[in-house]
Amino acid sequence: MSRQYLAWGSADNAHPVDIFSLAATEKQVISASGAPSLKVHSTVDADFPLVQSLDGAHALGCHHVVTDAGGTRAVSAGFAGDVKVWSCQDGYWSADAAASANLSELNVWAVALSENGQYLAGVSQDGHIGVWDLKADGAQIRDHETKGSFGTCVDLSADGQFIATGHENGAVYIFTTEHGRMPFSLSGLVKPVRAVAFSPGGKILAAAGDSKVIVLYDTSSGEQIANLSGHSAWVLSLSWSTTGEYLLSSSFDGKVKVWSIDTKTCVATHSETEKAVWSVKWLPKTARSEGFATGGANRSVAFYREATGG
Amino acid sequence: MAPSASSPRTAIPKQDRQASVRAYIDSTLTALVDQLSLSPAEAKPCIAIRCRATPANCTINRGSGALEAVQNVEMHRTYSWPGATAYESWKFTVIIRILAIIDQAVRTGQWVSKRDIYYIDPAYFRSQDTVDTVIDELAYTIGVDRGALNVEAAGKGLITGCFSLKRDSHVVVNAQFSSQDTLVPRIQEGDEFDISATRWVLVIEKEAVFHRLVQNNYHIKAVAGQGILITGKGYPDIRTREFIRQLVDATSNDRIPRRFYALVDGDPHGIGILSTYKYGSLAHLHDNASLNIPNLQWLGLKVSDAITTSAASGSDGLLTLTFRDRKKIVAMLRNNPVLANDGPEAEWRMELQRMLMLNIKAEIELMYDREGGLEMWIDRRMFRQE
Repeated sequence: MSRQYLAWGSADNAHPVDIFSLAATEKQVISASGAPSLKVHSTVDADFPLVQSLDGAHALGCHHVVTDAGGTRAVSAGFAGDVKVWSCQDGYWSADAAASANLSELNVWAVALSENGQYLAGVSQDGHIGVWDLKADGAQIRDHETKGSFGTCVDLSADGQFIATGHENGAVYIFTTEHGRMPFSLSGLVKPVRAVAFSPGGKILAAAGDSKVIVLYDTSSGEQIANLSGHSAWVLSLSWSTTGEYLLSSSFDGKVKVWSIDTKTCVATHSETEKAVWSVKWLPKTARSEGFATGGANRSVAFYREATGG
Repeated sequence: MAPSASSPRTAIPKQDRQASVRAYIDSTLTALVDQLSLSPAEAKPCIAIRCRATPANCTINRGSGALEAVQNVEMHRTYSWPGATAYESWKFTVIIRILAIIDQAVRTGQWVSKRDIYYIDPAYFRSQDTVDTVIDELAYTIGVDRGALNVEAAGKGLITGCFSLKRDSHVVVNAQFSSQDTLVPRIQEGDEFDISATRWVLVIEKEAVFHRLVQNNYHIKAVAGQGILITGKGYPDIRTREFIRQLVDATSNDRIPRRFYALVDGDPHGIGILSTYKYGSLAHLHDNASLNIPNLQWLGLKVSDAITTSAASGSDGLLTLTFRDRKKIVAMLRNNPVLANDGPEAEWRMELQRMLMLNIKAEIELMYDREGGLEMWIDRRMFRQE
């Protein structure tokens, strides 16, 4: 059963260079790129207008931006190793200088924020996994060591119970924030992992990368539930829909796919570009429609919505 | 016979420059002799050297497209005999010895290389670096370029292709159909070189890749026509850069423009080498305006090409960035104005960021396994850049 997603609009040439990361709140999408500024786009107005530009956020460019569920806090990580915390009031973002100062020496690559915005998880080039409490002045509360392979991606489960990381050597780890490492290792990927994402309920972890297959793991047992095959290039990004029914993925050859978790099949493929799509994100489900945003080497943020009414 | 070599890099005629070198050497040595004729208590032989402080900042000159210092800070250092320290005494004698070698070279009209000078007394000079530094300092103190001292850098660059060089009516270099390595020649005033048959010049980072293309006669067989292959073996020496710049200058007014391409590895050094050829070296800013190659086009290798090729051929020729590579990329993004956000080479900057994102790099040799080989890939790339 295929589904249709229609082009909803786009922020063309939102950045002068590759867009590396997108973060979505209920009303906005924040895009980060190789240029210093972060751009904030409204998703509640037609034409997705640019509502704010956070100029000079990261001098050498920014590779990750994440937000909490409420859209009150964002964290961005730059190529210079700089991490910045942002807070939002009435739809307007400003730098949280105090929190940023405490986190300036984090030495992390990928970052994730817990749903309530309190915990920041990060993984570093040498495979270290850290958790910081943003309510306690950014104090580090967890430090896990792995086998030293580059940590390319990290995710936190919605309840903040689990952290998952993906590494260059193909390893995927799950830790509980309470007790440390899980008693099983996740097998199945041998090539670099580039994206990990927990389902909204936290029962499934999706992981993918250079092996082009998306692997679904049961987070309580570590067993593989399914392999989703269909991409013919490296998978760069994964995102779950609000209900957990659908998984979104993007790859180095510009393909964007939607997968049904129920049937474990690909239900939609988009190929508007041949250039890498670095980041995809579902937009929170609203009365308006269910949709998603994509960003990558074509420098535009594209929005899609589900085709409704048959 | 086609265009003769362009004018030398300064407007001052060579005779005048050499005259000022001789005048400097004479007056310096005379002053030393005067000092030595005094009583030991009064004698204070010394030599003053003008040198540049390492600039805190550099920028791209809009006119020449070369990297240059924002502000030249000059320093004067005086070395006297016997100095306050053992180092000072040693440095004093090193300067005097090198000055004597230069004196002889200029008087006899012979050229001497930095390497030759070092090997006259390696134990005494301690390192090639010492010799290089003193020569640069002396040239700067006198206010001439190194060529006026009759000192040349030891050439390491190689050339093959449709190129011949005539000096005093004799063909001294003919790089065409040559199966042997030809060192990049030093072009002197009055030299004539013929590159009328060429359509392109390909500057190659690696010697091994250069040899492969030479063996396959790419300089003759290329779809784009006949051309010249040059390698500077990694970061290029001044002579190689100077030579390519002379080709650019000599052909800039020709009816058919020559195209200048660069083929480098898809890693931070590759981009660094590319930047050195096109904009100049961050370490020797004062030479850049006469050595940069503003019309150099980047042929590759891009990481995205490498990924596509690697996937198609099934070979896994991609390499992981080391921590040093990552640090180097960040330093390059931070320090090189060419790679700045508002700089002239957004694509190079992007490429470095993509390397960081994917944590991979790729070497040109990866393209050997490609269908049609490296040669067909270059053919297509040159065509696309037209």
